[in-house]
Amino acid sequence: MKVVTGVVGNDIHVVANRLIDISLEERGFEVFNLGVNTYLEEFMDAVIETDADVLLISSLNGEAEGWCRDLKILKSQYDFRDVTFMIGGNLGVGEMDPEALVPKFQGYGFDLVFHQIDLNEGLDQLEAYLEARK
Amino acid sequence: MSQVFIDIGSTYFKVAQEGRIVQHFRDFNKNIYDDLNSKCADTVSRYAKEDIYICSSANGGLSTLIIGLTNSFSLKYAINIAFNSGINIIDTVLYSKIENEIAPREIVDVVIIVGGIDGTSGIFDERLLRYLDGVHYQNIVYVGSSGEHAFFKKHIDNIVILENIISGKLKIEEEELKQYLTDLYQADIMGKEDIKQLYAITANQIYSTPYIVNRSLPQITQRLDVADPFIVIDIGGATTDIHYSRDLVNDNIVSESGYDRLVFKKLGVYKSRESLVHTAKNNEFVFELLEHLNVTENILEEHSETATRILMQLSIFLVLYKVSKHHAAYIELKLENLNSIVLTGGITKMLSQEEAEEIILFFYKKILRFHHTPTIVLDSNYEIWTYGIKE
Ligand code: B12
Repeated sequence: MKVVTGVVGNDIHVVANRLIDISLEERGFEVFNLGVNTYLEEFMDAVIETDADVLLISSLNGEAEGWCRDLKILKSQYDFRDVTFMIGGNLGVGEMDPEALVPKFQGYGFDLVFHQIDLNEGLDQLEAYLEARK
Repeated sequence: MSQVFIDIGSTYFKVAQEGRIVQHFRDFNKNIYDDLNSKCADTVSRYAKEDIYICSSANGGLSTLIIGLTNSFSLKYAINIAFNSGINIIDTVLYSKIENEIAPREIVDVVIIVGGIDGTSGIFDERLLRYLDGVHYQNIVYVGSSGEHAFFKKHIDNIVILENIISGKLKIEEEELKQYLTDLYQADIMGKEDIKQLYAITANQIYSTPYIVNRSLPQITQRLDVADPFIVIDIGGATTDIHYSRDLVNDNIVSESGYDRLVFKKLGVYKSRESLVHTAKNNEFVFELLEHLNVTENILEEHSETATRILMQLSIFLVLYKVSKHHAAYIELKLENLNSIVLTGGITKMLSQEEAEEIILFFYKKILRFHHTPTIVLDSNYEIWTYGIKE
């Protein structure tokens, strides 16, 4: 399975990105890591060029909301039916209500949303989700 | 044994030997070979064919139409390679929008098609073939996923299939396409009677001048008083080229030369004067700029030497503006980080160092809110191409 990953927007927190790359490889995924500082259009274009199965975006500095609002529009411009959209990291700024964040990002078009959730737990859930989709 | 370098431009020949450059105005009543012979037969006869190197921008170069799967990879990489090979881009088509695109009217020298990393398939279909039916092209090349080779071989006669320009890790692979485009340019000038004759005096390949200038860039810091990072702005009669180091872009493109080229076809001061004036009038800062230069808008309609100089200053301003963060275009250069700006081309014959500095300072103050500019070097002798021409 192919996964495109990276950190969205002007976010430069790179540590999680490296860990995600390594963890995905270990789990047997083929990884296309666009690194930090990646715009939503670039993620979508990378999914198209690689015919990826999963887009895994991470966001650490609190910019996610601003960058991901347009996901629906971009999703409508191409056939992404077989792609799983996933986001995680620190999705809000400061003392946001975590309960409200998940539905919000689902509303933007993400299938799996993980706010301040451990990476391995998130990846376990991804694998379960992909298994169930088969 | 020394060598002689000759650049054949649209307005003059430049002949460089032993560090000296002599320029001769072209006589358009003669063909290139006869004109060159009448002016430099003596010089040429003193060198062996192996020691004569020629580059040319006189025939305008090749044109391309690029069709790609996405903006961020396929189109971006192909545009980059085409520019660096000295090719003019007529148009680009994003494949998902191809059904609404109108084919260019002019004959296209080469169509480039690209999409997908190797192994992906089912990308291109009849929509592409329908569009291509309306395009008049001479050559067509496919540089995308290997999974689509069978489709192209089956449906498009004479298609050339090369290595994918998008690597398995989504990075750019430029070598094969660049070589192909350079060879095509070569074949094109070989086909032009005017240039063909020049092989009577040289045993070396004749290259396009922009390609040679691009090859010169790694040597500039040793030859001129220039520090990295720098840009070279080449303002000619028809086009304006800007060559820049890749350190100036936030980008995922990693390739060997480290320098890229960008062309503005419509910002030349002679052949594309109309469109330069049009672009200028639509720029929100231009009136302030004209005021700063102590002239009025009417100057744009005049045909005096002063008017040409003002237009040259304007074109420097507009080129910088177009690659700055204030203008979302194909590329954004980190102009704040520049150490040097090198100006070359016809413009250096007309503008003084002060005039160039004045306009660049205006740009840095007004647009970037900086109080000083990078060092500005005028390549008044038009030397730059000579660094890159020798094998
Ligand atoms: C180091 C650091 C920096 C360094 C980054 C260096 C670098 N190049 O990486 C520097 C100093 C540059 C920096 C700058 C900033 N930072 Co900072 N930074 C941190 C810090 C201390 C550690 C981040 C880290 O590397 N952690 C280690 C990794 C392994 O953990 P992680 O990033 O949290 O990732 C884990 C999980 O989030 C998760 N995860 C991540 N992505 C995904 C995706 C999925 C799908 C899943 C399931 C899980 C998942 O898995 C990872 C492993 O478990 C955190 C605070 C903290 N203790 O977390 C703040 C923090 C991330 N920074 C923060 C902020 C605000 C900033 C700045 C805006 C500060 C400023 N005002 O200038 C700038 C932004 C710069 C930019 N353009 O992005 C905030 C973000 C707040 C928010 N979102 O609400 C934090 C949380 C600090 C805080 N508590 O306020 N920062």
